Amino acid sequence: MTDGRVSTALPGRGRRMLADRRWLYVLPLLALAIPFFVNDYIQYIVNLTLIYILVGVGFNVLIGNLGQLAFANAAFFGLGAYTTGILMYHLNLPFWLALLPGGIVAAIAGAIISLPALRGIRLFYLAIVTLAFGELLRWTYIHVESLTLGSMGLHVPRPSVFGYDLTSEAGKFVVFLVVVVVALQATANLLRSRVGRAFMAIKNNEHAAASVGVPTSLYFVLAFAWSGLVVGLGGGLYAAHVRLVAPEAFNLMALIMHFAIVMVGGLGNLAGGVIGAIIVTGTPELVRAWPGMLELFLAIPIIVILMFLPKGLVSLLCRPLPMLQESYHRP
Amino acid sequence: MLAQLLVSGIAQGAIYALVALAMTVIYRATTVVNFGHGDLLMAGAFSVYVFVVLLGIPYLVAAGLGLLLLFVFGYLVQRQLIQPMLDGPHLALAMMAIAVGFALRGIARIYWGREVLPFPRIFPADVYVLGDVVVTSGNLIVTGVALTLMLVLFAVFYLSPVGKLAQAVFQSARGAALVGINVPRFYSIAWGVGAAMAALGGILIAPMTFLYPDMSVWILIRGFAAMTLGGFGSLHGAVVGGLLLGVMELLLGAYVSSSLIEITSYLVIILVLLFRPAGLFGQRQVVRV
Repeated sequence: MTDGRVSTALPGRGRRMLADRRWLYVLPLLALAIPFFVNDYIQYIVNLTLIYILVGVGFNVLIGNLGQLAFANAAFFGLGAYTTGILMYHLNLPFWLALLPGGIVAAIAGAIISLPALRGIRLFYLAIVTLAFGELLRWTYIHVESLTLGSMGLHVPRPSVFGYDLTSEAGKFVVFLVVVVVALQATANLLRSRVGRAFMAIKNNEHAAASVGVPTSLYFVLAFAWSGLVVGLGGGLYAAHVRLVAPEAFNLMALIMHFAIVMVGGLGNLAGGVIGAIIVTGTPELVRAWPGMLELFLAIPIIVILMFLPKGLVSLLCRPLPMLQESYHRP
Repeated sequence: MLAQLLVSGIAQGAIYALVALAMTVIYRATTVVNFGHGDLLMAGAFSVYVFVVLLGIPYLVAAGLGLLLLFVFGYLVQRQLIQPMLDGPHLALAMMAIAVGFALRGIARIYWGREVLPFPRIFPADVYVLGDVVVTSGNLIVTGVALTLMLVLFAVFYLSPVGKLAQAVFQSARGAALVGINVPRFYSIAWGVGAAMAALGGILIAPMTFLYPDMSVWILIRGFAAMTLGGFGSLHGAVVGGLLLGVMELLLGAYVSSSLIEITSYLVIILVLLFRPAGLFGQRQVVRV
């Protein structure tokens, strides 16, 4: 496997400069200019994109980097959203205090969901059991009405950060951007550390990894929990952004959308999750008026990508922009 | 009360058994689990609906056409979309099946949106009363078809040359190819048969549950639960698992809480895979490290 090690033959000086990942820090700074150019509706979609960046990046850790068929992503997203939403609604916690618990609860759920994997359940079996877990949670949201208000959903109060109410979309954008940058940097560090290399070893050959002393069980739990944490934070942002947390938002449709984000962007590449989110997030808004189109607009790109570009759109961008390439060791 | 629950549960379970059988055929023949099966079933039922209600074709002809259509569709999907994925990661296989199914659901939704349609029935809606147990003709026919299909598949897999072929391909696709079996073609036909069986399931199930584009999710999870409970890849496991699941749903629903009916299959999947991954009749294939 050549994951992330597509060598750039004869790296010229300019090319080596472009491979410097620090260039990417320019992107959030550029993004800060967005609120000056767009109206509130577009800004709302942009904020949603930030949320789905977390969803895509977190999901990618499990299915891309660890290479497991774990289909519980909508469940992590929902747990994050419900935890943050419940803390804000029932306990009147401010948003900034309620966000992290959302991530933590989803991380714990991730660790629990990794139990079947530790029992040796892999491949399709793991997919089915995680799918069942997600649906079970959705049933729970509907039936634990005292906390979740059932299928009508939870109306989350206005988010506030350190006493300031986030009344404008632009204000939310800045806060969300900070959360996303921190989560992405942490995920990038994790994936480029010993842990990330262990994930890659497990993906390529689990038995071989175990036989050279990689504690595979530990890394399974870690990957599931980390994925849960990042996606759960996304869920927390979702609760504050959309301010309606209802079970329908975390069904299989949501899961397919998460899949589309990862597949279209690029499986197993951090930037892939980001690119996928940027492309896919707006789709439901664009096709809202035509029933059935959302399904087609999610399914057909997945099919085309699987057939012709298995590493996603990011693999097209890696050549002109080598800083997007995943490199797991220092060159 | 209990007798009625058991009978109704078995009738309900026969539906699940039918779904699980079709999924088992694809799994047995190709070692791929079809995550789009529910949508194939929906597509089969909808195509027959179009033939009968919109085009006015006689029911039996329409059913035959629907089965044929789905056979061709399954064949082509495997050949064009699944086969190129076979060397790739399992995730790609699962995703491809999900995406194809999702596209089908999208097409159905373009025309029918969120409508719930009554499905024309071929058999009269008779009701038989035995003591205090009530059985409908639909119950009897679905149960009968599920059992017959199981017997036919047993004959195919264990008595016919096709069964030997399937066994060879299941055990080692490369070995089977080496001795001259056209493995890709075999896979394609197996998908065709699986899809046609999905259509048959759709035709039988839709009169009882109505017809709507989202019926697939419900069906798929039940099929998985039946397969898991019976043991992946086992034909009689699929049938026994389906029947047991149906009975369990009704018993839990009647004696504990009716809201449990919905989650019985999820609980079955999680508990079986955690504590007895091989199910009732499956071979233990789960790999440990």
